[in-house]
Amino acid sequence: MKVAVCVKHAVDETELKLDQGGRPVLGGAAGKMSTFDKNAVEEALRLKSKHQGEVAVFMVGTADSKKTMKEALAMGADRGVLVSADPAAIDTFRTAEVLAAAIRRSGPYDVVICSEGSSDTYSGQVPPMLGELLGVPYVGYARKIEVSGQSAKIERSLEDSVETVESPLPLAVSVVSEINEPRYPTLIQIMQAGKKPIEELAADAVAPAGGYRQVSVPSMSSQPSTRKHVMIEGTPEEAAAKLVDALVKEGVLK
Amino acid sequence: MKAVWVYSESDAVSNEVASAAVDVAKGAGAEVQVLELGAQRPGVFASGGKLLLKGPPSSPTPGAAAEAIARAARELQPIAILTGATRTGREVASRLAAKLRIGCIAEVSKLGADGESIFGERNVFAGKAVARVSCPFPAAATVKVGAYPRLAGGNGGLQEKDVGAVSDPVKVVAREAKSAGAVDLKSAKVIVSAGRGVKKKEDLAILEELAKEMHGALGCSRPLSADLGWLPEEHHIGLTGVTVKPELYLAVGISGQLQHVAGMKDSKVVASINTDKDAPIFQASDYGVVGDLYQVVPAIRKALAARA
Amino acid sequence: MAIYSAEHRRLMEMLHPDHHREYSEVLSSLGGFMEKEILPLSPKLDAGEASIVEPRNALFEQGMTLIPFPVEHGGLGLPFSVYATAVELLGTADASVALSVEIHNAVAEGLLRFGDHRQRKKYLNAVITGKTLASFALTEPASGSDSSAMATTAEKKGGEYVINGSKMFITNAGEASLYLVFAKSKKGPSCFLLEAPRQGLKFGGDLKKLGMKGSKTAEVIFEDCRVPEENLVGEEGQGGEYAKEILHGARIVVAALNVGIAQIAYEKSVAYAKARKAFGKPVSEFQLTREKIADMKTGIGAGRLLYLYAARIKELGGDYASEASQAKVFATEMSLEACDDAIQIHGGYGYTTDDLHRHWRDARLLTIGEGTSEVLRMLISRKELARSQ
Repeated sequence: MKVAVCVKHAVDETELKLDQGGRPVLGGAAGKMSTFDKNAVEEALRLKSKHQGEVAVFMVGTADSKKTMKEALAMGADRGVLVSADPAAIDTFRTAEVLAAAIRRSGPYDVVICSEGSSDTYSGQVPPMLGELLGVPYVGYARKIEVSGQSAKIERSLEDSVETVESPLPLAVSVVSEINEPRYPTLIQIMQAGKKPIEELAADAVAPAGGYRQVSVPSMSSQPSTRKHVMIEGTPEEAAAKLVDALVKEGVLK
Repeated sequence: MKAVWVYSESDAVSNEVASAAVDVAKGAGAEVQVLELGAQRPGVFASGGKLLLKGPPSSPTPGAAAEAIARAARELQPIAILTGATRTGREVASRLAAKLRIGCIAEVSKLGADGESIFGERNVFAGKAVARVSCPFPAAATVKVGAYPRLAGGNGGLQEKDVGAVSDPVKVVAREAKSAGAVDLKSAKVIVSAGRGVKKKEDLAILEELAKEMHGALGCSRPLSADLGWLPEEHHIGLTGVTVKPELYLAVGISGQLQHVAGMKDSKVVASINTDKDAPIFQASDYGVVGDLYQVVPAIRKALAARA
Repeated sequence: MAIYSAEHRRLMEMLHPDHHREYSEVLSSLGGFMEKEILPLSPKLDAGEASIVEPRNALFEQGMTLIPFPVEHGGLGLPFSVYATAVELLGTADASVALSVEIHNAVAEGLLRFGDHRQRKKYLNAVITGKTLASFALTEPASGSDSSAMATTAEKKGGEYVINGSKMFITNAGEASLYLVFAKSKKGPSCFLLEAPRQGLKFGGDLKKLGMKGSKTAEVIFEDCRVPEENLVGEEGQGGEYAKEILHGARIVVAALNVGIAQIAYEKSVAYAKARKAFGKPVSEFQLTREKIADMKTGIGAGRLLYLYAARIKELGGDYASEASQAKVFATEMSLEACDDAIQIHGGYGYTTDDLHRHWRDARLLTIGEGTSEVLRMLISRKELARSQ
């Protein structure tokens, strides 16, 4: 089975700094593999170990985001395809467009896996767009995937229900983080990942841009905290009584 | 006349999105049309009118819904298509954007438009920042759930459009509601939320009792549902879980990772209990108690009982 | 907080301009692992609510202990400065696990340097992969770093040595299945490999320590404990020299460990100072903490540079005994002071919260263990006076 998994080198929101005007400082901001993408890679690896075959990692990014690609390779993926473009400068559709073109170029794949959304912007758009652009069936928010023969049985986790769906292969799927517990690559795997092949492609070469007007982000700001930050001190009994008093005064506790 | 379309698989969300669409239509000089697929939905209201697409089944898969809407859009050329930012809504909007080669703004509130573009605001970086996003018409958008009041009334007429049969290679073979008796965190006025500070599953009982005594519901942070499986995942409040905005959010033993705070930061009042005085949850709280939940929670229950 | 910080990354870049990316990938992955799997366990290890076995095994599986050993023995073949940095990170995550792992690896270093081909083949890979937990038994109830005062004896009888005596304050004692033991034979202090369990090898009860509570420390007792002669490491009578050599390397690592402890105390102090500010406490309180914050940060930076300097000399094959001791003396005393400052900054909370004063309790060990500050100052001055001639 050939599995393609897409990952994003996301802004590490925990390390993100704000400037004096409260705007996030994105230039030089620390990056990491988008948190939930680890679940996508893990699921790809599990499919591979169950059905044999290979796992290829696809990513849109700049040269300094290669460490995310290498992390996926260290986890156990076989090879990588890096489409060079600044992910912050292109929108979800363009991202999906170049990923789809790169996947088609090196495919065909039986299963294309993404996570439900990235940990930095969390739009959740690229996976379904990818399904459309690849012209394959798409299932979102999978919490369980079982492949047998040329079809897959998938549990889709929705807000208030779980749907079990069946789809023929090839297909594209997004996974929720509940689906598995991602593995840590060992240090040996990390060192060996450096030797795995990474193909580098220019975005415009795989999919010429044009005929489409992008989403733009005219400005960003931070939300100043409006919380009161009252620390209640005292013994547990005193603190509890004071807290209950305060909440009643706020009118949120009857 | 130019039209802003609204679609959601849920009547309630559809009425919220319709409110957002009114703002977009106002700015763009357009009218709002609420889509119904397959069959009429009396629960859905719209001031501008309704557009019933005939051809797809009445509860289509997201793939079938997107295909039906795309066919109609190619012909009728709406300037914008809005869905709710639910799991299904995100898929429908994204698929539509790809089919029509248009941009899609995501998870937006405070929508508006001028003659050329749609715009809105959204949280990014797990709530650390707010981005203004904009896209030239025609465009799609997923509207943050809970950000708008439900539009009531409206008496626009009903139009029909036959888009032909649509099918999806993805077949739904079973559907099961998530755990019976599941909490409705979205409408709860008080939420008591449990985190890693709870040492074992059995100890959740005291928090459940506390929630009951406060006439509220029990939620949790991601580790409790996803890693430990102590509570079903619909209790998980956070970026990838449920987003809530109760009157009172009481975080118990929750450290306050950004991903968690992203799901509760619109709460009216936040109080938290944590043994670690450096826990980031205190930065997101109105009231903080540094202490052991095993001592503080029983004391709160006692204080509540004394009041009653 | 990322345990493997931008500062570490920059230092790797300066030390290893050609390979720093790879080293940083290894260290940042390891740091991420420690943050998720070790750091949250740390208060529980201190409170005796969690066992060291699982986190230590997890680190073995990750391959932390492979870092400085040659590829031909199954190691990663990375520089000692990378390994020392890894121990610093572990010191931040949990000092007691770091102590256990550091001593375990010191035995592997001894095996690599002084063991013969057969001993290396039999034990080295098993130790660095963590299949065999190792322990280093030098200190005695009545003698510390001075190996000439050693009272444990090894008497040659036929094809065996018979060992009698005892070793004190031995980390990993009782848990380990391989012991690097120093005992005096006719020719002087000698070094032996003892597999456990074996007849005549006994352990005292787990000692109640001030800190480092996650790790096991006990007395190791030899009562006519027989060891085959092929388990003599290197030459008979050279054990004292071997111990010194092993300890020089270990001191670099111990310095790193203490920088790690100081780092976590510092992070907590900064977070506290900021929270105080945010919660509108008197500014003066925050002002008072500033001097301490500055001193802590400066000390951490200096300690880190000192241990990396010693590690780099070791990598390049130079004599690093004085630098290793300087690093250890400085870093251990610095971290003790930093942890003390952290308690002061936290006020009453600092004195009454296990999760804060445990760092001071952990740090307190290492101005004593693996060469007291007093002994090391003598070593440094002796070396430096000789150098200046």
